Amino acid sequence: MVFPLPLIRILMMDGILSCEAGQRILAMGNEAVTRGALEAGLGYFATYPGTPASEIGDTLISIQEHLPSLHGEYSTNEHVALHGAIGASFSGVRAMAAMKHVGMNVASEPLHFLGLTGVRAGLVVVVGSDPGATCSTSEQDDRWYSLHTHAPILEPSNIQEAKDFTKEAFELSERFSVPFIVNLPSRLAHNAGDLILGEMPAERPAAGHFVKNPVRYFNLFQSTVDNHRRLLESMDRLREDAVQAHLNRILPGSGDWGLITSSVNYEYLLEALDLLGLYDLPILKIGLSYPLSEGMIRDFLRPLKGAIIVEDLEGFLEFQIKKAAYDGGLSLPIKGKDLFPRYGELNVDLIGQALAREFGVEGKLSGLEVARKAKPLIEKLPPRTGTFCAGCPHRATIYSLMKATRRQEVYGGDIGCLTLSGLPPHYASDWVTCMNCGLATSQGVSKVIDDQKVITIVGDSTFFHSGVPALINAVQQDAEVLLLFLDNKWIAMTGHQPSPTTNLKVNGEKVPGVDIRELMRVLGVKYVRTIDPFNVRAMVDGILTALETPGFKVIIAERECSLQADRRRRRSRPEEDIYYDIDPERCQRCGECYMEFGCPAIRSRTEEGEEVYYIEEATCTLCGACKNVCPNSAITRTEVRSRVKPRELAGVGS
Amino acid sequence: MKTYNIVIAGFGGQGVITLGNLFKLAALRDGISVSGAERRGGAQREGGVTSHVRFRLLEPGEAFDERRMTRSALIPSGKADMLIAFEPLEAVRHCNYLHPRSVVLLNTEPSPPTLVRMKKQAYPPLDDLLGALKEFTPLVFPFNLSQLSRDRFQDFLHISVISLGLAVGLGDIPIAQERFIEVLQERFPDFEDNQRGFDLGLALAQSAKKFH
Repeated sequence: MVFPLPLIRILMMDGILSCEAGQRILAMGNEAVTRGALEAGLGYFATYPGTPASEIGDTLISIQEHLPSLHGEYSTNEHVALHGAIGASFSGVRAMAAMKHVGMNVASEPLHFLGLTGVRAGLVVVVGSDPGATCSTSEQDDRWYSLHTHAPILEPSNIQEAKDFTKEAFELSERFSVPFIVNLPSRLAHNAGDLILGEMPAERPAAGHFVKNPVRYFNLFQSTVDNHRRLLESMDRLREDAVQAHLNRILPGSGDWGLITSSVNYEYLLEALDLLGLYDLPILKIGLSYPLSEGMIRDFLRPLKGAIIVEDLEGFLEFQIKKAAYDGGLSLPIKGKDLFPRYGELNVDLIGQALAREFGVEGKLSGLEVARKAKPLIEKLPPRTGTFCAGCPHRATIYSLMKATRRQEVYGGDIGCLTLSGLPPHYASDWVTCMNCGLATSQGVSKVIDDQKVITIVGDSTFFHSGVPALINAVQQDAEVLLLFLDNKWIAMTGHQPSPTTNLKVNGEKVPGVDIRELMRVLGVKYVRTIDPFNVRAMVDGILTALETPGFKVIIAERECSLQADRRRRRSRPEEDIYYDIDPERCQRCGECYMEFGCPAIRSRTEEGEEVYYIEEATCTLCGACKNVCPNSAITRTEVRSRVKPRELAGVGS
Repeated sequence: MKTYNIVIAGFGGQGVITLGNLFKLAALRDGISVSGAERRGGAQREGGVTSHVRFRLLEPGEAFDERRMTRSALIPSGKADMLIAFEPLEAVRHCNYLHPRSVVLLNTEPSPPTLVRMKKQAYPPLDDLLGALKEFTPLVFPFNLSQLSRDRFQDFLHISVISLGLAVGLGDIPIAQERFIEVLQERFPDFEDNQRGFDLGLALAQSAKKFH
C-alpha cells in the first residue's frame, strides 16, 4: 500500500468536521479529544508536539483551513503554548494546549500561576501520559502536579469519554475559573476505535475582547495571597459540586470488597474481572481524580470490608483515598500499590493475576499459562532496537563523529530522532534525559575535566525549544565543547511537524526558515562551520579540525530529513534513474557499510555459503553516503536516463 | 456477543498501524464495534510496532452488559484469534497472545535487528521460530511476503495488503469481503495495485488451506 498522506488524514478528515450528531466514526483517542474541543467551540489551540499527544496538534492544525475562526499553532515549547492559550482565555476565547507528560515540566510555571489568575473562557490542558515509557525517556505521573497547581484532572477511560470529557472540561473550567486537565495515557491516545459524534456549535466563536481584570491577573504581594485563598475556595466548591456524581460513577455490586480505579485501568479491570468470573464486586470509577470528593469516597468505603485501588505508577489515587478514609475515621484495609507495581504500565494480565490471588480464584486465567510458556522464548530473541531510517543524514553525521573520535571522548545526547545515536551500532550518547540535556550538561562537564574532549548533539527543533539559554551560557563561559547541530529541517520524530528551520514544505512550497548561521553569529559563537553530512570525509575532517580548536565550536550538519526529501522525490517522478550497487568483485566483506554504518537499505544474503552484502533498491533513498563509507570503493552509483521501469514491464500476475 | 482479536506486529515503516486501521474502518461499515491500541515507539525507524485490533459484535436483540462485554484497548495474553507478523522474530515476540486455535500469518523474510547485523547475537533458524509458534497453535501459515511484494510491486509497501487478503481468506473475520474493497477504494491511493495485492492474498489463502 502506498500512503503519501499522513495517516491521520486518512482516518479522520471526513469525520472530524462532520455536523451529523450521532454519526459513528473511527477515531484515535487523540482525535476524539480534538472533536470534543471543536464541539465546545474551541478558538485557540497551541502545542509542542510530543508523543503520545502529537496527533492532537496534527489534527487541529490540518483542519485550520476549513475553520478560519480557529487559531492553531506548533509553538516553540510548552511554556509558550500554554501562555498563548492563557492569552486567548483572558480575551474570552476558549483555548486548549496539548503536550506530553514531560512537556508539563516546561509548562508547569504558567500552570502554577493559572490558579491565581483564574481563567475567563474555558481553558483545557491535555497531557499525554506514558506509563511504561512506550514512547518517552520518562514515565512521570503528572497528576501529582495538581496537588500544588490545583488544576482539576479528568481521566477518560475510553475514546468516547476522551471526547465527552474534553467537551465538558471547557464548561467546568469556566464555571470554576480554573484550567482543567485531561489526562490521556498512551494506550488511550493511541487507541483507535469507534466514536459517536456530538453536536457541533451552530456558529464558530466570534473574535474575543480582552477584559481588564487586574484583581485576578496582576499578582503581587497581598493580591497573590487573596487569589491563593480564592483558588482553594473554588477547589472546595468543586469537591462538593453535583458534577462529582456525574463524572465519578459506581458500578454497584453485592460483594463486601470494593474496587476503585480510573482511566484505561477501568476497562482493563472490567475485562480481568470478566475473565475471573467475578461480577459482584462494587466498582467506583473515578473520572475526576483531582480534587476528589472525600464525601463520595467515604460513602463508597463505609459499607465495605476492604478496598483495592487499581491505578498506574506511584499511587496518586491511593494517596488521596487513604487520607479521605483516615480523616473520616474509617479503618478498613485499603490495598493498592502493595498489589500492583509502582513502575511500568498495568494491563489485564497484571490486574487479573493480582485479583485472582486476592480473591482465591487462581487458575481461571488461561492467558497467564500461555504468558508463562512464552516468556523464556521471547527473552531469548534478539531485541529489535530502532535505528536511523535508510538515508537519514543523522546516521552519516553520527558515523563521522565515531570515526573522528576514539570513544574515549564524552558524548552528550539529546531528544529527537538523534536519540537513536545512543543505540547500537553507534553507542554515541553517554546520557539522554530531557530537552537540551546535551549542551547544558556538556558545558558543565567541560569545566571540570581536562583529559577528555566533549562533543554534544542537538536537533533543530529541540534547540529552539529551550536550547538558546544553554548556548548563550556556553558562549559566555567559553565552554570547551563541540556542538554538532543536526539540522534536518523538521520535527521528524513526532511526525514531521514544521520546525523553525523548515524552509521547504513536502509539496515544494517555500517558507521562510530561521538562518542558524546568522543566529549563531548574533549569539556570539565565533566558530561555526556548515557541512553536508552525506560528505562523510568532509564531516570527519571538520570534526577533527574543530576538536583541535580551543573554546566553544559549532558544526551545523545541514540536510533535510530523508523521509521528507524522499517523499518529495517520489512525487516529482524524476526522469533519470539512479541506483547504488555493491560490486561483489571489489567488496572485501569488511562490514564497514553493513555493521558500522548500518543503513537498513544495505542488506546481507548468503550466496554459495558466503555472506554477500547488497543494496535493496526498494529501500534505498539514493543519499550516496555509503559510497563515501566504503574503504574499497566497492559501492558504485549508476545513472540510467529514461530507463524503462521494471514495474511497467511486469504487468499483472507476472 | 461475538468477538475477534487480531495482533499485528512488525517494525517501523511496514504498514502495521495502517493495516490495523484498515481492519477497523471495514468493521465500522458493518456496524461492528472496534477498539485496539497501537504501540508506535519505533514507527518509521525500524523499531518494533504493534497494533491491536478488537472486534465486538452483539447478537440481534442482545443488550450491552458493561461488566461482561467491555473489551479494553489491549488484548490479554492468550486471547488473540489471529497474529499477523511481518517478520519472523516479531511473530515469536508476540506468541504470548496465542491460543490453541489462533491463526498465525507470518512473513518469513528475516530482517535482522542491529545486534544481529553486528554479529553480537545470532538470528535463530527459521525452522526453530516456526517450531516455537507451533507449540502454541497448529495453524501457522508462513509466506515470503517480502519477496511477493518486491516481485509484483517493486516495493515492500504491499506486504500489508497481501496480508489483508490472507487474513480474510484464512481467518474467521466477521466482516464481509466487500467492505475491505470499499475501504481500499475510498481511502487509499493506487486502488488497482492494492486490489491486486488483496486478491493475491486471497488466492494464496485458498491454496494454503488445501495444503494445510
